[in-house]
Amino acid sequence: MNWKNVLLLVKVDVKAYRIIRGSQFRRFRENRLAMYGLYVGGVVFGALVGLAIGNFYRGFSDSPLKSLFFQGAISFFVSLPTLALLYGLVIAQMNQIQRMGAKISIQPLYWFPITWKEQTLASILAGIIGMPLVITLFISSAILIASVFFELVPLAVFTSLALTASIVLGSTTAEILKSLQVRMTGAVTKAAGRAAVWVRLIGSLIFFVVFYLVYFSIVYNVSPVALAESIASGQRAVWFIPYVWLGVALFEFAQNQLLLTALFSAASLIFIYVLFVAAARLNARFGMYEVPFIRISYGAYVPKTGFLGRLGFSSFEAALMRKDVKAFTRRRELTYIFIIPVIVIIAPLLTMLRGTTTGTQIPPTFQSFLFVYIVLFPGALMAVMMGSFIVGSEGDSVWYLYTWPISAKSLVKAKYFFVALFSLVATLVCSIVGAVLATPSIQMAVIGLTEALLIIFSLSMVSLTFGIKGADFRELPPRPRMIRPVWSFINMIVCLVLGFVIIAPLIPYGFHVTFLPGTSSQTLLSLPREYLYLGLLVSGVIAFIIAYVFRKMAISSAEELLLKAEGPEG
Amino acid sequence: MSAVKLTGISKRYSDVTAVDYLDLDVRKGEILGLLGPNGSGKSTTIKMILGLVKPDSGSVNVLNINIEDDPIAVKRKIGYVPESPRLYEFLTGLEFLDFTGDVYGMELGEKKKRIDEFIKALDLEGREGDTISSYSEGMKQKVVIISAIVHRPELLLFDEPLSGLDPKAARIVKDLLRQLASQGVTTIMSTHVLEIAQAMCDRIGIMYQGRLLALGTMAELRVKAKMPESGLEDIFLKLTGTGDVKPIVEALLK
Repeated sequence: MNWKNVLLLVKVDVKAYRIIRGSQFRRFRENRLAMYGLYVGGVVFGALVGLAIGNFYRGFSDSPLKSLFFQGAISFFVSLPTLALLYGLVIAQMNQIQRMGAKISIQPLYWFPITWKEQTLASILAGIIGMPLVITLFISSAILIASVFFELVPLAVFTSLALTASIVLGSTTAEILKSLQVRMTGAVTKAAGRAAVWVRLIGSLIFFVVFYLVYFSIVYNVSPVALAESIASGQRAVWFIPYVWLGVALFEFAQNQLLLTALFSAASLIFIYVLFVAAARLNARFGMYEVPFIRISYGAYVPKTGFLGRLGFSSFEAALMRKDVKAFTRRRELTYIFIIPVIVIIAPLLTMLRGTTTGTQIPPTFQSFLFVYIVLFPGALMAVMMGSFIVGSEGDSVWYLYTWPISAKSLVKAKYFFVALFSLVATLVCSIVGAVLATPSIQMAVIGLTEALLIIFSLSMVSLTFGIKGADFRELPPRPRMIRPVWSFINMIVCLVLGFVIIAPLIPYGFHVTFLPGTSSQTLLSLPREYLYLGLLVSGVIAFIIAYVFRKMAISSAEELLLKAEGPEG
Repeated sequence: MSAVKLTGISKRYSDVTAVDYLDLDVRKGEILGLLGPNGSGKSTTIKMILGLVKPDSGSVNVLNINIEDDPIAVKRKIGYVPESPRLYEFLTGLEFLDFTGDVYGMELGEKKKRIDEFIKALDLEGREGDTISSYSEGMKQKVVIISAIVHRPELLLFDEPLSGLDPKAARIVKDLLRQLASQGVTTIMSTHVLEIAQAMCDRIGIMYQGRLLALGTMAELRVKAKMPESGLEDIFLKLTGTGDVKPIVEALLK
């Protein structure tokens, strides 16, 4: 193993995250302060949190409560490595699906004298650098300081070491899963032939749904304390699973079973090494990324005018919209947009199911709220997100936008209607799901859908405006940028505010229905009919004004964008 | 009659002068080759003609239209092959060409006829239904070249057009450009392959450090360089002052 090679490769990966500032094309400025500041900040903030927890604990005079808190701390310490592993794997997998579609990713430099072991180790270490390391430093710092007050310093030191080992374990496992996924995706794509696009899309969706279900189950269905306690005691029962050996070692350490502690610690380290060897071998076998070969069409080519052409879109606008539909169904890094409605529906459903399984009575108003939430939220969120990155998603191929004979108006029109119609379809699907789950009255369904339409058609234009202004066409690792973070943030805030402004005229009805005793939650008929229609009308006028104003801004930004094609090359 | 007229255009990037007060007059139906070492300003010049880069000074007139007055009208008449094109790799070759035809507003029958002809001619038949991501670099280049020609442009701007092409495809493209020139289509191409420039171009412009050092036919360039028997490579190296490579090679071998 040449450690110099490993460090060099890790350095390359770290540089992939460096912050580029300004528009200077010849200089690549690195913000070292931001890079290392995060780690120092994690340690300092962790120490402060640890100090606060310690002082809080010292302040207890009630001894049973103090003892309960003490036991909780031990459970927390013991459960940490397994918890970190669990979260780490879920998040790594969710990130992985976005990375795999990126055109440019860090490929093994197979023509250099670098072994697969060095390559794999560098990849594992690079997977730890960044947020996982910041979080580990934060937690370790917090528990080490707090442990002084709990008089659990040896356990805290061991927990910190186990936590570090668990993120290495997580990163090594992620490396194995990455190789297997590449292999499996290639095999599935090859076998699927023409259906590969749909297999890939549906496969990605299932992948996301499963992982989000796991994630939400962890986050929403179990309280953190219960989770820590169940892991702390449960992992001993499943001691034969190597992934919990670090936690078991900690548990035994807390029980003063030093022999078992040493045994499980050693076994954990051996397991990490075995995984590393497996990852290196898998990488050697499947590490070279092969572009999937997908055949979409056979037979004679028959050009068509198309449905969009009949709707009045020009041939360019219709072509651009069709191209974007294909992009969103075929580019893996964009398919996660489809998951938004699923997540938005899953989260409240899990809460609802939790309520039914625990025997808690679901209030009738919750059903009305659920319907409005499912109808309004997924489509709106989709419009806000898609609008913000629809232009940036052109990526390196953006030069077409500059060379085509297109006007800013046409560009805005094509992108806007794509976003709005796409979100509208999502809303219609969601409203069917909402209707099945919440059985709203026809009037409520109509009002919900009308408001959803108003929000989608206005916020699509708002987010498109910010998407053009903040478009980021870089396709550097780990994934295409699409929009600059600051514009993404501005877009979210502005859309949130304007979304509220649009539905504001109807909010009083919502309150009236929900909180006035004696009124039905299923219907709005008990309210004055004129008031309702007036509210809808005002809402519509507000939405129209917003869309109109932002359309002007979008066109002006698009004009600017089309004039700003200047590249760096001489 | 001028197809492209550049008057005193210049472009600076920070402290680098990419193009330095360039005057150029390209005649209709002419094939003009732009030669020059890396960073000499060829690509920037082509981008300014297309309207992708705005000159700091001077004016660009393309097919009797000032690029600043009506860039869309100019782009409609141009076919462009960039130096390193990035295609929509999630589309198939056929989908991409169909898309290009729609962008330029081609009529359905004409679009089908032209695309079918080009796919056959450049040996893409049988692979046109595959996603571009699975194409080789040469196949991608063929798709880009077809997309630049398919809509019958009046001006072709080619930046290293033959890179990656197999000999048959390169020959087809060369012959095609000559035929198009005889029909009045103007071509401006930048290339590093001097043999191609010598064989294909009516006139050759040699650029260096953003300036046009020489412009003319091969015979005119020989006269200018005072090298009556020499080929383009010797003339190019002499004019750009990069000819004496012997000490460099010797230093590298030490």
